[in-house]
Parts: sequence; C-alpha cells; structure tokens
Amino acid sequence: MKKSLSWWLLFTVLMSSMPLLISTRSLRIFIFANFIAIFAMSWDILSGYTGYISFGHPFLIGIAGYTSAILTHQFATPLYISMPIAILLTMVAGSLFFFPALRTRGTYFALVTLAFMEVTYHLVQVVRPDVTGGSRGLTGLPLLVTGAVQNYYVSLFAMLFIGLGLWALARSGLGTVLSAIRMDEDAVKSAGLNTSKFKLFAFTLSALVAGIGGVLYTHYLGSISPRGMFDINFLFTILIAALIGGEHSIVGPILGAYFLTFLLEFSRPYIPGSWRYLCYGMIALIVYMYAPRGLFTIVNAVENRIRGKNLRGEEYDSQTA
Amino acid sequence: MTAKLLELNALTKKFGGIFAVYDLSFHVEEGESLGLIGPNGSGKTTTFNLIMSELKQDEGNIFFKGKEISGYPTHERVKMGISRTYQIPRPFGEMSVTKNIRIGIMPDEILSVMRMHSASKREREIGISVGFKEHHLEAHPNELSMGDLRRLELARTIATNPKLLLLDEVFAGLTAGEITELSELLKQKKKEGLTFIIVSHDLKSLAPLVDRVVVVSFGQRIAEGSFEHVVADEKVKEAYLGK
Repeated sequence: MKKSLSWWLLFTVLMSSMPLLISTRSLRIFIFANFIAIFAMSWDILSGYTGYISFGHPFLIGIAGYTSAILTHQFATPLYISMPIAILLTMVAGSLFFFPALRTRGTYFALVTLAFMEVTYHLVQVVRPDVTGGSRGLTGLPLLVTGAVQNYYVSLFAMLFIGLGLWALARSGLGTVLSAIRMDEDAVKSAGLNTSKFKLFAFTLSALVAGIGGVLYTHYLGSISPRGMFDINFLFTILIAALIGGEHSIVGPILGAYFLTFLLEFSRPYIPGSWRYLCYGMIALIVYMYAPRGLFTIVNAVENRIRGKNLRGEEYDSQTA
Repeated sequence: MTAKLLELNALTKKFGGIFAVYDLSFHVEEGESLGLIGPNGSGKTTTFNLIMSELKQDEGNIFFKGKEISGYPTHERVKMGISRTYQIPRPFGEMSVTKNIRIGIMPDEILSVMRMHSASKREREIGISVGFKEHHLEAHPNELSMGDLRRLELARTIATNPKLLLLDEVFAGLTAGEITELSELLKQKKKEGLTFIIVSHDLKSLAPLVDRVVVVSFGQRIAEGSFEHVVADEKVKEAYLGK
C-alpha cells in the first residue's frame, strides 16, 4: 500500500511539473490524455471489474456534456449549477444501464448499451434541434478556465482525484466483490451477496466518473456535437485505452490513455494520415498478443523483476530462481 | 422432538416437456445428515438448484425453519443459513484461497465491504479448519488438486455461517486418502451441529456419513429410510441397474 501510494505521489509530482517542461501544444495532448484516462477508468470500474462490457460509455459522457451545454447555452445557467445537475442526471442515466444488466449478460448487454448510444445520437439531432443544436451541436459554451496550463491542471487533478479514489475502492473488498461478479456471478450470489446491489453501485459510480469527465471535457472544448460525442471512434479510443493499459486495474487505463494518445499525437509529424492508424492498430495487436492483460502487467513485471520478486510480487525462491 | 429444518413439499420443475423434478417431498431435521441419491439425471442437482433459488420451481413449496422461502432470492436464502457446494468446483479463478473464502465472509453491505482492506484472521482459520496447509492459503485455484478445490468449495460455504449445507458430489474426483480426510471433516462438522444434505454417487463413502437416505429417480422420490433399508429396496435396485 505504502509503495503504491509513493508511486501515486511520484506520478503527481511529475505530472504537475509538466507545464514547466513541455510546450503548450504538447500540453494540449496531455489534456486530451487526461480526459481519455478519466473515461477509460469510468469504463474500467464498470466493465473491467464486473465483466458487463459497456459499448455505450459515450452515451453517459454525452448526457453529461449535453445537459450542461444546454443549461448554460440555452438557459444561461451558471456552470456551478449546470455541472452538478449534469453529473446527477448522468448518474440517473447510468442506473438506466443497470436494468438491461438484470436480464442480459455478455454480448447482449454490450449491444443494448451500444443501442443507448446510437439512439441518443439520433435523438439529439431530431428532438428539439433548436435546444440541442441539432446535427451541428452547440458552440460558444462557457469555459471552466482559460489557457492551456489552467486547463491542464483541471484535467490532471480531476484525473488524479478520480484515479486515486477508484484505485482505493478497487483495492478494498468492493473491488474483490466486483471482480468475483466477473468471474462467476452465481457463485457470488451463493456466497450470500446481492449482486444486483453491487452492480447498481458500480454502474452509478461509473456514471459519476463519466459525468465528471463529460462536463469538464465539454467546458474545456467549449463546444459539443453529436458526431463528436456519440462517435464509434470515441468509443473505441476509450475501450482500447482501458484494454491496452490493462483492465480491472484502474492504473492500467491511465497508462493506456497516455500510451494511445502519445502514440497518435506524437507520431503525427512523422507518419502520414491513415498510416498512423495502421501503426496504432498494429501496436495494439502486438500488445494484446504478448501481454493480453495490458501494459500494466508489463510495468508490474519489470518492477517486480527489479525488486527481485516473481510475477505475483513474491520473493524469488533461491532454489527455483 | 427434532424440528424440521428444511421441508420440500410437492416440488415440481419442468424443462420443456420433461419433468426434472416431479411432486418431490422430503424434509431434513436439525442436526441430521441426509443422503440424496439416485441415478444420473434423476434431478438431484436440480433439487439443490431449487432449494438455492438458482432455479424457480413450477409448483410446490420450500420451507426453511417453518417459513415458506419460495419468494426469496439466492442471497437471502444464504443469509437465512442455507449454503451449497457445486458438483464441478466453481472457485474464483484469479483469486487466492483466502480471497475466495473472503467472498463468503463478506457482509452484504456496500459500506462494510468497502472497509475490508486486508486478509482477516477468520478466513485463514476457516481455510485451516477444512484442512488447508498454511502455505496453500495464498495459492490460486489452478495450483490446487481436485481435493483442495473441494476443500475450497466447502470453506467458502462454511464462511457464510450456514445451518444447512447442501453438498453436491463432494467425493467426485478424489483419491481414497482425500475421501477419508473429507469424510472425517464432515463428521466433525456434523458433531458441531451442522445439518447436511449430501448428493453422491459414491455410496460406500456416503453410507457412514448419513442418518437417512432419500432416493430419487426421474425426479420422483422412490424410497426413503436408513442406508441399509434403501439399498435393499427393489425399486432402488431397478432404478440403478434396470429390470
């Protein structure tokens, strides 16, 4: 525990000093990575832990973004009121995900959540486009803070706060129960635990994180559109960040988000257009093939190797090492 | 007079047009050890699934401590004091033995569960009480023998603090030595006051453990009584061996 906390502290210090070390342009890449990390962690606490794979996370992020955007843009609501309302509404929407989870599992659940995203994508364009901005969306939204450095710190501390909170929860008995649900839900029921209650909590918690990320992201960009928010590529970025980093670990999605964003953004001057996506796909494939549990396990293995421990973090037996 | 701990009354479960359990009634008394035997496909595991609410009966009632529990979900029945093991062990594969047992100990409250951060003394005690060696407690299920996996199933159910244990094919896949060890353990638990219903095809191992036996065939009860009495029953011989 102490060792992990010192890693968090080191990471916080390092990331906090970034504005002194890198250009404003690079800082914007870090801001994007921080938001992807928030969304990927939100996905992880629900799907990575319980095994209920959500393909509809942009739906939750979009509900948060659109609610706050409409309130501020159309009703001149101040941000300190619109943002909590948007987050609360996202938590309600997150519990909507829960109802199909009572009856469906696996692929069917994933498809139901994908349908949530698709339906919302069309609804925001056709229902009251005068309010939602239709297919063009809404622009000129109030910004939470201005300037790259300020925005970087908002995104960084939101990400760190959420990351540390979820990481602590995941290391508690809650993480154990949610993981057990993924492994064998019926066996968890047979151990006397009401899995519905724990799932509802995970769904609402995931929505809370998606809601916080959604409102901050929207008021960082200053605009929102259905094509940008309910986009399958946006969904895949979140999913791949969580998977490539290492699902059900919380730290993995942060690693994955940074890895993916850096890969895409920093290779931009060197690899043209769609070739970049080809490289991105190939690297993702190689990681899946050789480290199916994600980058997190590689980092863990290297750390344990340096400390002279085996993969499970136990001291090497001198007989077998 | 001993009280009835569990009572099944005219239980029926149909899959499509086939009766898996038909009009099945029996009871088990407090402190008793009941054997539930019958040929393959006779509805023994289905009966366990019905008792645990993993399946819903089409007809009939289930009473536990005199209370009708048909409307109660699995976790509520476990909290009342019924617990089961599975025919094919179902450990949480990515978790150590102690963590597997921890799932059984955990209270059904989110806030209390959040406060559980490290291994408790009780999970180790339960692990040791079912025969795990200290160095096995941090092992993962893929490192365990079938005997140890059965022990783990038992430990996880004991962790829920049951009054009634449903043991499904506990001796399957075990060596003679492991069967003896497990039998001793069950005798010990019986002495401590636990009530059992044991399903087993291994009648030789079952015989010394049970006070009474219920025999089912095609989902129906065909005989009931002491072990010696039922194995001598013509209907039972016919069910096992054919006419």
